[in-house]
Amino acid sequence: MNMTEIKSARAGDSYYKIMHSSGLTVYVYPKEGYQSAYAIIGTKYGSINNCFSVDGGEKITVPDGIAHYLEHKLFESAEGDAFTRYAETGASANAYTSFEKTCYLFSCTDRFDESLVILLDFVRDPYFTPQTVQKEQGIIGQEIKMYDDAPDWRVMFNMLENMYHTHPVRIDIAGTVESIAEITAEKLYDCYNAFYNLHNMALCVSGNITVQQVMAICDKMLKPCEKHEITSYFEDEPYEIVNPYVEQNFPVLMPTFNLGFKEKPDALDEKKLAQTDILLSMLASPTSKLYRELMDNNLINNSFSYELFEGPGYCAVIFGGESRAPGQAAEMIKQYIAKVKTEGLDREDFDIARKSVYGDIVSSLNSVSSISNTIMSYHFSDNELFAYIDAVADTTFEEVSERLSEMLDVCNCTLSVVKSPDTEV
Amino acid sequence: MSSINRLNIAEGVYFNSVRDSRFKTMKLSANLFVPLSAETASANALLAGVLSRSCKAYPDFTALSRKLSALYGAELSVSTTKVGENQVISVSASGLDDRYALDGDSIAAELSALLCGVIFEPNVKDDAFVSEEVEQERRQLLDVIDSEYNEKRIYANGRMIEIMCADEVFGVKRYGTAEKIKETTAQSLYLTWQNLLKTAVIEIMYIGDSAPDKAVEVFTETFSKMNRQPAKLHTEVIREAGKIKRETEAVDVSQAKLVMGFRAGVAVPEKEITATALMCAILGGTATSKLFCNVREKQSLCYYCAARYDKHKGVVVIDSGVETENVEKLERGILKEVEDMKNGVISDFEIDSTKMAMINVYQSSNDTVSGIEAWYSSQLLQDGFKTIEEACAKINAVTKEEIVAAANKLQLDTVYVLTNQQEVKS
Repeated sequence: MNMTEIKSARAGDSYYKIMHSSGLTVYVYPKEGYQSAYAIIGTKYGSINNCFSVDGGEKITVPDGIAHYLEHKLFESAEGDAFTRYAETGASANAYTSFEKTCYLFSCTDRFDESLVILLDFVRDPYFTPQTVQKEQGIIGQEIKMYDDAPDWRVMFNMLENMYHTHPVRIDIAGTVESIAEITAEKLYDCYNAFYNLHNMALCVSGNITVQQVMAICDKMLKPCEKHEITSYFEDEPYEIVNPYVEQNFPVLMPTFNLGFKEKPDALDEKKLAQTDILLSMLASPTSKLYRELMDNNLINNSFSYELFEGPGYCAVIFGGESRAPGQAAEMIKQYIAKVKTEGLDREDFDIARKSVYGDIVSSLNSVSSISNTIMSYHFSDNELFAYIDAVADTTFEEVSERLSEMLDVCNCTLSVVKSPDTEV
Repeated sequence: MSSINRLNIAEGVYFNSVRDSRFKTMKLSANLFVPLSAETASANALLAGVLSRSCKAYPDFTALSRKLSALYGAELSVSTTKVGENQVISVSASGLDDRYALDGDSIAAELSALLCGVIFEPNVKDDAFVSEEVEQERRQLLDVIDSEYNEKRIYANGRMIEIMCADEVFGVKRYGTAEKIKETTAQSLYLTWQNLLKTAVIEIMYIGDSAPDKAVEVFTETFSKMNRQPAKLHTEVIREAGKIKRETEAVDVSQAKLVMGFRAGVAVPEKEITATALMCAILGGTATSKLFCNVREKQSLCYYCAARYDKHKGVVVIDSGVETENVEKLERGILKEVEDMKNGVISDFEIDSTKMAMINVYQSSNDTVSGIEAWYSSQLLQDGFKTIEEACAKINAVTKEEIVAAANKLQLDTVYVLTNQQEVKS
């Protein structure tokens, strides 16, 4: 068996990475003393992969929202749906589609083996007919409409639409009521056959399980899979944003905003990720001078947050939250960043932020769901969890200062606001 | 599961601890229970926010936040919740276990001291809180109230309860009202603080690897100097629904919301709550529940349609999002499933699989710090603690007759609809 043990002296944990003969990459992270287990299988296929080819063949363009639609429909087979099968083992199952991946998961405290068999079975067994595809239109239509009424969702997509010219990250993950009407069983099979190839997928299990247990089930369930070259096509995306400002009127009492800085879409390794996370904590966490200044001026409340938003071909830093004066809040954030870029960062801020980021990631290893989801994300971006923990501990002040110099261009950001019709920004 | 050790350290003050070495973090929280009331809810909620901002040792927000971050991103948080007709102010500190500190720092001891500091030694001067701190929290609490309207599912559920329980204490929101928040002063808040320490039933909860001896000592000593008069906690349970209350509100939304409130006829501390919880889960608590399978999957009417049981107030709430034109069809669809429950149209598969699903949730809670905390906290107003094993045995023992009996106690009380303005006009 092609297996590597990955250890962390700092976290006191270890896990295993196995290249299974079927082509699937498998991670197993046993947690001693735990009763529950959490398993997740994912494919590197999300809402952004809407134009692709297989083995250099014909370029296929598919309707917006099809990856998410496929996620819903994969639960069904000729015999019934996977939820009913899980009901017999007591596992709690779910799935999600993001910009760059689709994942299926379950958690359980009993009968893990049977539940893993169900997971590996239904994900390898597509069953799409015109009738089953049609039935989902109403359900997903209501999911889309629910998000249409969610100010946090709208404020983010309005920002992305005004930040990206061509990259499909600007399109809503679930598509629109119109775009999903174009989805057919045949198109679902096209996408499934391209992306649900075991070489393009990973399985991650953590908790009350052993390597032998997981591998025995993989051996039984997974036949070797022929590798195919999948190419996703993205049109050229300029460095510059589309518009610096966008607003939408909404039935809300608290206006909300996202201020996004468009970054160069370079893939970030563990070191760069660690530097960026520490930098953002220094700049905008509740310990920062900026946070204090925004609060003292009544420009934010404790809904304020920040994130590094990145994936294949896109990268942005987003600050956001509720504000009675989003325009002023955005202006203050930009001015503060411009000032720090000129005057430099503070060493004490760095020490505090490094410990804080370190504590967060080590704490997250308590949870079997955090472990599995983080390893899955890192797998698809060619990173490794424990290397990230070490990178956080070893990051220097100089590296973070260097990182700041290459990002957060205050002339390349978009402010998105959602507010009630009678509010002035 | 790890057992809980419960000490009565003062009149109406309990220190509960669970020792567990599996986690990389520890958590210490103080939960202050007081009767919910329209008069005091807002001041209590405002006080909670003010307490979490600063204390004597770290007299402003930034100083306190920096101290927490330096303790490896430790968190100090407050929450205000409603448990039945009681308001619960929870102040908690959580952080990395000492074993994982980079420089041999002792995080647990510092966090315990910090928690005691914010509760007992807040930043007060001349019998008043610092006014800038109060103004900051007042503004933020008013924002929280306004922001509930932003999320229409939360707003619609809140409106339904307000209408259903308009004549009950339960109709008071956990933060009270904007008007009362505005009336509170830095001086009145000082009295609120003193009153809270004197009258609250206080449940302290510790989960971590090391022994909490130091924290027990500090809390015991501090409370020994206080004249404590713990309040009586009580929730009025209404069992008869009377005439169905209906309200429709039109807003510029793309999806209508339907929220239905039922009197469940069973509440804590009655032993039938287990059967009622199971009945509610079969109806709308899982991805194989009646509402999910029939209203969502078969009729394709909605994305979510869920039933929740509030065991403290004895209320079941069903909510869903739907096209405005389908609201009536959805209500009929939901009522049909409720009728089926009452008539015993429930398969063994539905019962057995829902039991397993609930047991899975119970057992999983033992694997996180927050899960263990929630497990025991949710039983604080009950008579003694049940372990997970005991709760699982109780669920397994529920019979179909008991489920049907629980369903037959359901009485529809209130139907609230948030609907699309445009479609109502046309």
